[in-house]
Amino acid sequence: MSAKRKLTVAVLFGGRSVEHDVSVVTGNQVLRAFDPERYEVVPVYIDRDGRWFTGAPLLDLKNYRNEVISLKGVEEAILSPATHHHGLIIDPTAGRFAKSSVKRLDVVFPALHGSHGEDGTVQGLCELADIAYVGCGVLASAATNDKIMTKTILKQHGIPVVDDVHLTRAEWEANPDGVIARIHAALPYPLFIKPATLGSSIGVGRADDEALLRASLDVAAHFDRSVLVERAITDGVEINCALLGNAQQIRASVLELPVSWDKFLTYEEKYLRGGEGMKSADRIIPAPIDAALTARIREMAVRAFQAVGGRGTARVDFLVKPEAGEVYLNEINTMPGSLAFYLWQHEGLSAGDVVQQLVELAREAQAEKRRSTYNYQTNLIEVAAMRGLKGVKGRKAPRPAQS
Amino acid sequence: MTVLLFLILLVWLIGACLRIVRQARFYQIEEYMSGRYLRWLLAQRYRWLPGRPFLAWFVGAGLAFFLAEAPGSPLPAIIALLAAGIGAYPERDKEVKKALKFTDRVKRMLAAAFVLAVALALAGAALVLSLPTDSPEIPAVIAASMGFALVIAAPLLLVTGNLLMTPVEALLRARFEAQARAVLAEANLTVIGITGSYGKTSTKTYLAHILNSRYKAYPTPKSYNTLMGVCIAINNDIANNRSLEYFIAEMGAYIPGEIERICDLTHPSISIVVEVGPQHLERFGTLENIASAKYEIIRALPPDGVGVFNWDNPYVRAMYERGYPQTRIAVSRAVDPAQVPADGPRLIASNVEESLNGLSFTVTDTHSNQREDFQTPLLGQHNVTNVLLATAVALHEGVPLKDVARAVRSLQPAESRLVRNVLPEGITVINDAYSANPVGVVHALRVLGMHQTGKRLLITPGMVELGPLMESENRKLGEIAAQYATDVILVGARQTDAVKQGLLNVGFPAERLHITATLAEAVEWYQTNLQTGDTVLFLNDLPDVYAS
Repeated sequence: MSAKRKLTVAVLFGGRSVEHDVSVVTGNQVLRAFDPERYEVVPVYIDRDGRWFTGAPLLDLKNYRNEVISLKGVEEAILSPATHHHGLIIDPTAGRFAKSSVKRLDVVFPALHGSHGEDGTVQGLCELADIAYVGCGVLASAATNDKIMTKTILKQHGIPVVDDVHLTRAEWEANPDGVIARIHAALPYPLFIKPATLGSSIGVGRADDEALLRASLDVAAHFDRSVLVERAITDGVEINCALLGNAQQIRASVLELPVSWDKFLTYEEKYLRGGEGMKSADRIIPAPIDAALTARIREMAVRAFQAVGGRGTARVDFLVKPEAGEVYLNEINTMPGSLAFYLWQHEGLSAGDVVQQLVELAREAQAEKRRSTYNYQTNLIEVAAMRGLKGVKGRKAPRPAQS
Repeated sequence: MTVLLFLILLVWLIGACLRIVRQARFYQIEEYMSGRYLRWLLAQRYRWLPGRPFLAWFVGAGLAFFLAEAPGSPLPAIIALLAAGIGAYPERDKEVKKALKFTDRVKRMLAAAFVLAVALALAGAALVLSLPTDSPEIPAVIAASMGFALVIAAPLLLVTGNLLMTPVEALLRARFEAQARAVLAEANLTVIGITGSYGKTSTKTYLAHILNSRYKAYPTPKSYNTLMGVCIAINNDIANNRSLEYFIAEMGAYIPGEIERICDLTHPSISIVVEVGPQHLERFGTLENIASAKYEIIRALPPDGVGVFNWDNPYVRAMYERGYPQTRIAVSRAVDPAQVPADGPRLIASNVEESLNGLSFTVTDTHSNQREDFQTPLLGQHNVTNVLLATAVALHEGVPLKDVARAVRSLQPAESRLVRNVLPEGITVINDAYSANPVGVVHALRVLGMHQTGKRLLITPGMVELGPLMESENRKLGEIAAQYATDVILVGARQTDAVKQGLLNVGFPAERLHITATLAEAVEWYQTNLQTGDTVLFLNDLPDVYAS
């Protein structure tokens, strides 16, 4: 018997998000990255409809062709918000002949992209459950998931972002001409039109004239209630930087330059090039830009992450005009595809090292939270019980049932 | 006539059952150890032969015998019945400091004892009925005698009831232990074991507080430290809370092998030995036996486990020097941090200062050369060691020394361990009522001595369970008390005689020494005699078994 206990980590993947499939790939990469000697890994798959499952067959990507619940060994499971469960309730609706059970967890690893996963919702559930979880907290996840909110925060911190106009779906539907006039007054063509909260490139359009702009706004408004219109940076390149750390100790990775940016990253291009997801996508690492610019971008990435109150990890994407020395922060992904393993490899960190560090960072953040007190005893209830509740006069107090 | 005879037996039977319940309290205090309980019982005549039942029986039977008139007369039986009523009516309870806890075990034991009593009473009834009825006084006297015998035999019935239930209890215990084992296997906690002759509960409380600044730790509640106590903690609390990361198990040794059994259940990966001292010496015989019982907690560690030791106690230091396991941490408040011996203590407290605001000291980690000033509201210098031991574990578990120092600032004393309160009328009450020990009493007395505004009253019944050292340690207690207290109340004349000798030896004024029979009298005295600015220290409040 050894003194070291294994940590139990639940890896959440899939999800009610347009990025469901990418997340399944990321989730499986994360599951495989853990050292089985030190961690007990529990796969938790959330399907497109938002149902939760666990079980060993979920470790095999081939098993996702059909309904996973039909597989032997797959059970329904939910993450309980009750602190004393501190884990998954397996088979929560078990009836007379089966029994539900609790699987206690040390850490939750939400390998989820986009809505209902990367946006603070799952993070909120983990907060309720009081379980350590990998990555950003509720506020940073929610803020960075919304491009308009992110830019508002970054501008406050003096980090350069591309000029934009934002509008709501209601505004667009009520007064399209007014909206177009507002955009024309503020920005020159070509423009990018983006739904505020979707990840990837879904619903994103490029417009060189008013007709295309109107069409793109219709598309974007179909995906989200807020829409962002940005000036297109025509002759720039995309440069990405991954981050690892909490609070004041954040490490920035080598920079990458994803290759065919000039046209536009369609969904297929971004994630499905090659067979194995992100790994074989075409990219140049390190990005071929000079050392001073590299340093500036890395420093800016860290500063932006701190500005949004991030922790754990992120991949920060920039638009850069290397010759002009112009840098614009484009977005912050708090749960980047494949967790940017390929960038950390260049830093001498294996995927196993990265997930281990992320788990430690999550536990560190949880420890930090423990320092706050959430339990404060007052005599308010006693006093209220004695005096009766004010402000609810005219209603009779409910009487206990007579029996 | 027959009805009357039955009634005589019935009344005595009720008396016997009431006495069984009364006696169960003392049996429980002696932890159901029949030998110890019976020895306690036989030590005083009034305990095994209570006066009123004896007189009632003796006088009643005599009158019944001599007042017999004619065959068939109900008079002897009526007299015997009256006597039974007087004899069986329970005595008024004296002060109850430790009431009987109606545990399931007690209920089963009492049920068995009642069944025995009823069976014996029925057998008695059968015997009485079989007697010839021509002389009415004979059956009456025999019924009364058998009823009286039943009352006198009540303690034996209790012990027999307990013995009869032994296999049942063993089975239930085994099941309860298996359940606890299953809960722990599922919970996947890091288990920290703590043992020592004293200081266990305090160290446990402090460690839980420090670890909880970062993790989730659950300590065994109160002073639960037996195998069953630990099982109760596991089955009641750990089973219902999966958020826990650490289980801090206090382990007491009342017999050799007990700690080994608790370790076999809990598998600690970190073990702390606080002190080895003469507590329970009468059960173990020698300090070496006590030390080897405590060492079970270290022997039970896995090779990659962690042992934490109090360097300042020679017996505990010897354990540290035995070299198992690989990772060992010793702490000291006696070693000079500038001159640490090779393979000496890793954590050292220096510049210890004690005031009524608490303790402050500097902690040096000789491995990392880190240094941190600690401040705690705790009183009593022995608490420096307890805090150091807890710090050693916290450091090993990744809590930075700075964070430990912050957590230590909000430590609270464990229940009844040097808890200081100022009453509204301005009298300071220091409660150190938990089973006192030779180390703790000195520190408690020093705390009393720090109060310089008025009278300093010590109330104590002395120390017990120290075996052959009892007399000398109690005399020493008296000698030290004379330095710090201005007034002393000793509770119970007999057992405090050595304390009194000690006090008088060093010239403590006899007129300031009071002896009371009960704690209630002592409390009454202090309530009438103390004034604003005065201080009272309750040192070692014992269960009634020693007071009566």
